[in-house]
Amino acid sequence: MDISPYETDNSVSCRLTSQIPDVCRKEDCCLGIDEAGRGPVLGPMVYGICFCPVSKKEALKDLKVADSKTLTEAERENLFQKLDEAKSYVGWALQILSPNTISTSMLQRTKYNLNALSHDTAIGLVQYALDSGVQLKEVYVDTVGPAEKYEEKLSQLFPGIDVTVRSKADSLFPIVSAASICAKVARDHVVKSWKFAENLGEVDTDYGSGYPNDPKTKAWLLKYLDPMFGYPQFVRFSWSTAQTLMDSKAVTVHWDDEEEDGEKAAQRQNNRSMLSYFGASGGDNGQNPTQQTHRFFTERRLRSLNTL
Amino acid sequence: MATKKRRTPNIQSDSWVVIAAGSVIDSQMHDSNPAFVRLRNPSTDEASLYMLGSCDEQLYEVKAFDEDFHSWFVGQTVQRDGRLLFVTPMDPLYLILPYLIKSGKEGKFQPVDQVVMDEEFPACCRLLRCTRSLASLHHIAEEKEVGGLKFHRYSEEKTMNWLQKKVERTVVALKKRNISVGEGVKSTTYVRVKSESDYCEEDYLRYAHGLISEYISEDLSKALLRHLQLPELTSPKETEPPSKKRKLSDKPVEAGEDYTKFNSADFARKPPKKMTAAQKTLAKVDKTGMKPMSSFFSPKVKVEKK
Repeated sequence: MDISPYETDNSVSCRLTSQIPDVCRKEDCCLGIDEAGRGPVLGPMVYGICFCPVSKKEALKDLKVADSKTLTEAERENLFQKLDEAKSYVGWALQILSPNTISTSMLQRTKYNLNALSHDTAIGLVQYALDSGVQLKEVYVDTVGPAEKYEEKLSQLFPGIDVTVRSKADSLFPIVSAASICAKVARDHVVKSWKFAENLGEVDTDYGSGYPNDPKTKAWLLKYLDPMFGYPQFVRFSWSTAQTLMDSKAVTVHWDDEEEDGEKAAQRQNNRSMLSYFGASGGDNGQNPTQQTHRFFTERRLRSLNTL
Repeated sequence: MATKKRRTPNIQSDSWVVIAAGSVIDSQMHDSNPAFVRLRNPSTDEASLYMLGSCDEQLYEVKAFDEDFHSWFVGQTVQRDGRLLFVTPMDPLYLILPYLIKSGKEGKFQPVDQVVMDEEFPACCRLLRCTRSLASLHHIAEEKEVGGLKFHRYSEEKTMNWLQKKVERTVVALKKRNISVGEGVKSTTYVRVKSESDYCEEDYLRYAHGLISEYISEDLSKALLRHLQLPELTSPKETEPPSKKRKLSDKPVEAGEDYTKFNSADFARKPPKKMTAAQKTLAKVDKTGMKPMSSFFSPKVKVEKK
């Protein structure tokens, strides 16, 4: 698998695609969607679709594709090779969501959670297949969140396509298994050959599984924690593991969309106490209105200083 | 984020991000450096920070752009204080004026170096070394020369004319820079479709007067307003009706005009309700040292770790 398009800039989302088999434009097709790398605090999340004519479903079974989790890395590589060789009737497409994309989506001002990101990525890939002229009739998806809701959402978006959302779809439908193999192989490649954009020198790549509960991963996170910047972009900042470590070990950074309440915060934001509106007339507080700084300065956030 | 972060006060840092007029360092004589000085602010009568250029040639005021949640990346360091200091030229007469007014109450002509003195701010005498100071004193004071020595006496009339010119020049500057001066316009970043050239002259005058008032005392500001023949704005507080207070009495609340009840046969005032036994015992409980219910709902803030 050639992941070089992603490696040119591993801070953004990237789409890798196979050739569209001619037969897929003519015959009714089925499509499977699955993802790899949803849980880890390190590396990208990869979404994969795999599609083939409905008539070729049996041929896919003969390739002995199975749930990627039950396979060793070598077996997965082998199966992906087979899928790629079957390019006369099997097509695939991948969306690599960089850890940076995940961090910035989840931590932006209007929060974009992982489920929404997952759904939209899956939808984008199905749309890609449709736009490429694939005659989609059946779509099989491994669920994210409640299956019925997701199924309803997808059915509404793609009328005329029979959408099936199941948990464990990757072990039920060969086409989903195929998609899961594509996604998993891509993720493995990306993680293995990750090029750090940061100037870290020789990076210790012994970070274990990348899952938050892995002690090796935790040790690695602690080692590469910069007190000012936090982590390299390889780390998903939005994961609570990363956040907890930054909260306790790094410099505190305040953002203006942070929730802050209590009297102190109100005072800092120059909010007036509710009570002041109910007081007896005036409530001058010794503040002469003419003494207030002119709005030319207040509007521009300019003020005099009395000391440096 | 699950935990609430508390902000620690900004620690004084020894570096600042400053934008300054080139003239601050642009001087023929480099033997004396520009310096920050604390002088009496004519508007607040308290200390404010100013800068005197090299050899005290020119006075500058120091303003800080200061907004929450800002920090600087300076080279390879991070500066927590996100302020941006502006050092801009300022007419030293504004700072000299309060001293002249004070001594002018005696009505005598005096040498100006005896007038501009301040125990609290000894640096104020350096104001007179500014190139413009002595040459422009005639804008705010009458001059007399006796035997090669100059004496000055504060003149309100001259000062008002001088300030009026300042206001007029400010109006020109405001118009040139398209600064929105109308009442009720709050956002300078909000772009209106309609051009705002139709502000009336009074809006500009009032705005300019407000700006100049940042540099003079309150009394002078009021006098200037009269001099400009601008009516004083009545503050909204005075026009507000006094807040009504509900009368407190033990009697039950009755409608002011309700004539029906006296017609009913069984009209009788009920005595105030008695407390139940349970309420009475509750009222007798010793509450000293007990926390009010509300105290349990105030936010718990985690202390920031260094």
